[in-house]
Amino acid sequence: MTDVQVLPDTRNATTAAPPARQGSARVRVAAVYGAAALAVLLLDAAVLVLLGADPLVALPDMLSSSVGSLPAVSQTIERTIPLLLGASAVAFAMRAGLINLGVDGQIQTGAIAATGAAFAFATAPTLLVVPAVVIAGAIGGALIAAPPAVLRARLGVNELFTTVMLNFVAILAVEYLTTGPWTDAATGEAIGRPIDLGARLSDLWDRGPHQGALIALALVLGLWLLLFRTRTGFMLRATGSNPLAAAYGGVDARRAVVTAMLLSGAIAGIAGAIEVAGVHGRLIFGMATNFGYLSVLVAVLARRSLVGVVPVSFAFGALIVGSDSLQRSVNLPASTTLVFQAVTVITVLVLDQTLTRRRLV
Amino acid sequence: MDAYLGDAVLRNALLFCIPILLAAFGELLIERAGILNLSIEGMVSLGASATFVVAYSTQTPTTLAVVAGAVASALIGAALAHLTVDRNLDHATVGLALLVFSLGAASLLYRLVIGVQTTPARVETLTTLEPFLTQIPVIGPILFRQPWPVWIVLLGIVPMWFLLHRTTIGLRLRATGENPRSMDSLGVPVRRIRWSAVLAGSVLIGLAGATYPLILSGGWSEGTIGGRGWLALMVVILARWKVGLLLPAAFLFAYLDAVSFSLAIATHAVPTQVIQMLPFVLAIVVIGSSYGRARAPGSLAKRYDREARV
Repeated sequence: MTDVQVLPDTRNATTAAPPARQGSARVRVAAVYGAAALAVLLLDAAVLVLLGADPLVALPDMLSSSVGSLPAVSQTIERTIPLLLGASAVAFAMRAGLINLGVDGQIQTGAIAATGAAFAFATAPTLLVVPAVVIAGAIGGALIAAPPAVLRARLGVNELFTTVMLNFVAILAVEYLTTGPWTDAATGEAIGRPIDLGARLSDLWDRGPHQGALIALALVLGLWLLLFRTRTGFMLRATGSNPLAAAYGGVDARRAVVTAMLLSGAIAGIAGAIEVAGVHGRLIFGMATNFGYLSVLVAVLARRSLVGVVPVSFAFGALIVGSDSLQRSVNLPASTTLVFQAVTVITVLVLDQTLTRRRLV
Repeated sequence: MDAYLGDAVLRNALLFCIPILLAAFGELLIERAGILNLSIEGMVSLGASATFVVAYSTQTPTTLAVVAGAVASALIGAALAHLTVDRNLDHATVGLALLVFSLGAASLLYRLVIGVQTTPARVETLTTLEPFLTQIPVIGPILFRQPWPVWIVLLGIVPMWFLLHRTTIGLRLRATGENPRSMDSLGVPVRRIRWSAVLAGSVLIGLAGATYPLILSGGWSEGTIGGRGWLALMVVILARWKVGLLLPAAFLFAYLDAVSFSLAIATHAVPTQVIQMLPFVLAIVVIGSSYGRARAPGSLAKRYDREARV
């Protein structure tokens, strides 16, 4: 055996439950996710006490700043977009039996390509520039996903490790561009020059989320249709669930692997393009850091479901926005959200497994 | 030429080799027992952060701080062992969740203890020693003008190899990594072996973290580790899970690190970031070319349910 097979859990209880037990499966999902939310709430309160803040003030603050009003929800939606696209990219690749740990890097190269396109087509009308920016993002993401895809398809090299390595390459490339050729000298930091207003995504309504929200939802829908309503999608899923059986049935496994990986990278790349064109308006070193790892967690929590990633990434988005507001008021470091999100995932994994073992629900 | 083969570069390469080698030792122990530890980068970072905060707040470096780093990493190791060995959850999923947890915990710990400061907090790093052995021509200054832990870690390869290949414990550990079921049928305590391997391995990974504040940088930030934990994971694959090959594999990456360090000072012709990419690019190239010959432990990252029917 030359290949370290590391595949996500495909035998989880909800997908395996027979139809007769669907009602109880729903109770169980509610119980598991409810308990995970409670665990995070308690942990959050504990950290706040350690930081010297009053949790009874801070926690409601967190809630109101993330989902308490329409502008708050809009902000949460904007933070959800890269996570939603990243998690869909991961979930999509997982369906084909691949773990794409390179979403971080793909977001970065997508952002680079999008910024480059915005500079190159600066004089073109908005109607042309914006699609060019988004498509450039997709190409940027797919390009950096190509070496892992080919190595996996040709030599069986586990894509998990190669995609991680490329994350660091991509992040260094952003650092180079934002401090070198594209730097905005006025800021004195690793921040790129702004792109033209014509290349940017406008808000859907006043103080609402930008158009990226619609692009993201359309892409997730497209991925779902591709996966479940087309021949290609069937081949990807067949390769993912049983590569030997799929190969025996005439599926070209190499092609399936390359297709899945490139599409996954392209989707993550578009997330990078949207970050540039919708949120920052420029390339910034350190933007969307760790969104790749978080995307994997979201995809795992959503049980690789392209429908499930929508609510889960929104919940994570709300947690990030809420924590951001605490960052301003009690100086909570941004990376604390990582702890909370990891705890959510571990709680769900453990509870799910306990319930399966004890057959409680 | 000095930027590639000068004394300073080779000396730095050996120094940079130490954390990678230590972390790779730890990962090797864990993987040889059949457990995949994907949280290595986070464990190194948390180990570094815990070491730093203790060293900084007590202002007496070494022992206590090193213990703190090892313990912090071992706690993550205990979680990994519990979730994969006892609960039999998917190794990759658990590893990634713990990776994210420990990356976050490292920052949180730093923030809780050190707080927000205008200038980054620092501790003194271990001094470089000048034993008489540095008089040896050519290799003397490279090998011996180093802080003392460098020698310990380099010499550590021998007991490590001995443990794995010349003792009963080592044999059982390796056999468990190949086929836990047959070990179980022989009455070998699979669970205890795996737990011990994960705990011992994560202590070593924590020590790798401790070298950053105490020997290399004197401080801690979110970017301190910057992918070197992941590189240690690549080193294990590149060394084909063999103790003897860890040093050359680790040295390869450390050398590139040292070259990028010296080139950044010597020249501005090539952007620093491009040179810093080299270890990661090399990792992909090397893994791609050596993959066919690599053979992972038979049960690596596979679930093992001892009560399952087979």
